[in-house]
Amino acid sequence: MDDLELIRDLGRELEHEPAPSLLRQRERLMDAAAAGWRRGPGRWTLFGAVAAVAAAAVTAVAIVVPAALTGGDARPAGMDITARNPGNALNLLVIGSDTRPRVNEARSDTIVMVHVPADRKNIRAVSVPRDLLVDDIPCRGVRGKGRAPINTSFSLGGAACTRMALESLTKARFDQTVVVDFNGFKGMVDALGGVDITLPQAVSDPAAKLKLPRGKQRLDGTQALAYVRARRSLGGGSDIVRVRRQLQFMEALTQRAREQQRRNPVRFGRFLTVAAGSVEATPRWDLRSLRALAGTFRDTGAEDVEFAMLPVRAAPEDSNRLALDPAAAERTFAPFRR
Amino acid sequence: MTTPTTAQQCDADLIESSLADPEAFAALFDRYAAMLFRYVSRRLGPEAAEDVVGETFLAAFSGRRRYDLAQRDARPWLFGIATKQVARHHRAEAARYRALRRTPVDGPVEGPADRVAAGVTASASRPVLAEALAGLPRRDLDVLLLVAWGDLAYEEVARALDIPVGTVRSRLNRARRKVRAALGDTDPTEEA
Repeated sequence: MDDLELIRDLGRELEHEPAPSLLRQRERLMDAAAAGWRRGPGRWTLFGAVAAVAAAAVTAVAIVVPAALTGGDARPAGMDITARNPGNALNLLVIGSDTRPRVNEARSDTIVMVHVPADRKNIRAVSVPRDLLVDDIPCRGVRGKGRAPINTSFSLGGAACTRMALESLTKARFDQTVVVDFNGFKGMVDALGGVDITLPQAVSDPAAKLKLPRGKQRLDGTQALAYVRARRSLGGGSDIVRVRRQLQFMEALTQRAREQQRRNPVRFGRFLTVAAGSVEATPRWDLRSLRALAGTFRDTGAEDVEFAMLPVRAAPEDSNRLALDPAAAERTFAPFRR
Repeated sequence: MTTPTTAQQCDADLIESSLADPEAFAALFDRYAAMLFRYVSRRLGPEAAEDVVGETFLAAFSGRRRYDLAQRDARPWLFGIATKQVARHHRAEAARYRALRRTPVDGPVEGPADRVAAGVTASASRPVLAEALAGLPRRDLDVLLLVAWGDLAYEEVARALDIPVGTVRSRLNRARRKVRAALGDTDPTEEA
């Protein structure tokens, strides 16, 4: 037998078929691709768009929902931090959670830290990639497991644990944690009678049961949910791309909500009821006092919010994970430490 | 996963369009990740192979501007990058081959010459082969395995490793000589 043939035989014996986990590597690549796009020269218009989107997300969570829920008379502030200090600087932690019917475990799909200064200008929203490795997460059930991806904190310890993990990472305090359940989106969108989006190209994703033409269109709740969840067909499975799309959708939703507030108060009321059910705030929002908080945002517009990704790079111990870029992260964290 | 529009494009077209639209690079992953995985899994095992494939595509992505667009087929380029990534695991690779040496497949292990005379099967010669591979210098091993396991032509190996074709031939010959010597040098097949 030829020596090359023997080597080929040995090779066939040693060969393995790729496991589905190889797709993780594709996601890493897509994250790099998305980051490359953001960094490229002349892409600042996109960055601006993202900022506007983040503004909308923040607005939706921090303004529209509470402000509208606060019909009726304002009473003295309750015990929660936000209401005690309506005019002060705030740090919010916004977690988009994806609780799927078949999977019992809630996953944090989107984590955004928001710093709102006292003047309500220069609001910073910083998206935290879920694969970011953090040192020993300081809460029960997770502690002692060593370095772990940040999203483990949510699946194992809930929103409070994610907050603690981020507080120990940033050396900042978060006054308010807000968990938005993506499933609630469906109902919110339907309550508004659909949300308008514009697609630069047609989307066909059989896995997500999503087929949309190019151009401007109105999505119903089911389509909207598929749209914000789809990974593969839109942006090739990248986290960053998907977060960007979710924030974009939030902007569209906020716009539609504002429109309905003017035109169709009944419909708007229905929307708020559903929205309240899919947003969980800790400490619990004192709705009456939040009205005062909402009032402080009166002059805040989309242009006042700057959106950024946490500066990260591949983790030295595991290239599938991300680690903080310490110097750049210090600058990002600085405004959060008041 | 490849979309219909990109399925028609050659690799060079894909890489070119990824300059303006980075996310187009994913199609290259869809085309070749499994192939690279299989190759690297032979050399390093399945766990390390996943990492290496990921690192290979990240490195390819960040180096895509330097890709020679005249080369329609990107496989040699990707194999070349993968080879560099594999090199970082060289010790683990040698240990993997040496471990094979210690796990005889069929019956007692005798001297190599006896086995060749008895008519070796691939699995019976495995310990000897593995030992030979473990002992090859990395540069010779890379050439040998790109040919035998990567199914690259000599010109493609030359492109992958950025060396002249003549060097590919001489390294391959040297590697095969050593393997044959380990097998007892009774192989009548002589390749130029």
